[in-house]
Amino acid sequence: MNGQLDPLILAILAEEPAHGYAILQRLKERSSGAFDLAEGTIYPALHRLERDGLLSSTWSADSGRRRRVYSVTRAGSSALEVRRQEWKHFALAVEAVMG
Amino acid sequence: MSWLDDLSLELYARGVPRRERARIAIELGDHIACEPGCEERLGDPRELAISFADELATSEARSSAFVTFAALAVAAAVLMISQITLARVAGYPGYSNGISTLLFFPAILGVVVAPQVALVAGTLAAWRALRRRRAPQLPAAELELIRRRTRIALAAGFATMAGLELYVVDFSLRLPAWWLALVGGLAALAGVGLLGAARRLLRAQVIVSGTAGPAGDIYDDLPLVGSEWLRRRPWLLGALASVTVGLALGAFEAHAEHSVLEGIQRGAFEGVAAALGFVLLGRAVGTRR
Repeated sequence: MNGQLDPLILAILAEEPAHGYAILQRLKERSSGAFDLAEGTIYPALHRLERDGLLSSTWSADSGRRRRVYSVTRAGSSALEVRRQEWKHFALAVEAVMG
Repeated sequence: MSWLDDLSLELYARGVPRRERARIAIELGDHIACEPGCEERLGDPRELAISFADELATSEARSSAFVTFAALAVAAAVLMISQITLARVAGYPGYSNGISTLLFFPAILGVVVAPQVALVAGTLAAWRALRRRRAPQLPAAELELIRRRTRIALAAGFATMAGLELYVVDFSLRLPAWWLALVGGLAALAGVGLLGAARRLLRAQVIVSGTAGPAGDIYDDLPLVGSEWLRRRPWLLGALASVTVGLALGAFEAHAEHSVLEGIQRGAFEGVAAALGFVLLGRAVGTRR
């Protein structure tokens, strides 16, 4: 997961805005549980991505609780596209070597 | 104590600001409410607090370096305006024409020497912050180097604006009222900008980072200059820089004043001042270890 959490978060939020717990659930579903990370680690990453201007967030009230809902900014979409291209090149290179 | 209480205490111990702590508590509280009993999967509260603090400390140190650089740019513009208007409209009064030499000499030190310290320290702080802008967490030692450079730059920026104000007071009976009002007002405004940057730096300083690693030095910042050979001879860099600065300013002053003697005198003063700055502040700003 080292270094890959940021683009994974961006990819999930590019589909629709979500709060921390929902992002984790989607991450687990989409990866069929492959990513085994301490769940708390997603929050420092969310805060950092927001400080870097790649995410924005607002408070919402749901089930009587306040929660922070995150969405991707325009800069975040561009950064995600760059990371997707980098990943494709990397995956192709690995595949070419591994067969 | 609950998992959330532990996390809040750990965040507090690492100097994470209250607003940030409150937001984290609400978000993690919501997470636990979505799936009661999931605390173990959230991880060790101490480790999580360290992660929050390290990333926040990095971000705040970088921001304070950039904000300080911007505030110093405004102060530099004020200094230039003061000197250009003084030279073109009123002319430089001799030091004996002021109210007191006790005002003149600190003013000149502030206007001539302090801006150079601010330029070097502020540029090095901002350059390191820019160069390391993609790193989510910087080592604590590196953060301290950025903050120290920023502190020195800010102190020198304040000294420059204070020097200008002293200059205004010293020549208040000799220079035109409009110039005194313009420069006094602009220097005060630039001082307010520097105060804003200082506030930002204070906020960055209270967050405790625990990431291990070296601080690095000027050879990491300027790889073209850097070489292991020069790194092992730190005084050589100081000597080279001082001679270069002295020669450049000496040549400029000789041309501007149409006097070789004047150029030599001012160039020598500048070279000695640069060497002194290297000796006194070199270790603090990471130009020598």
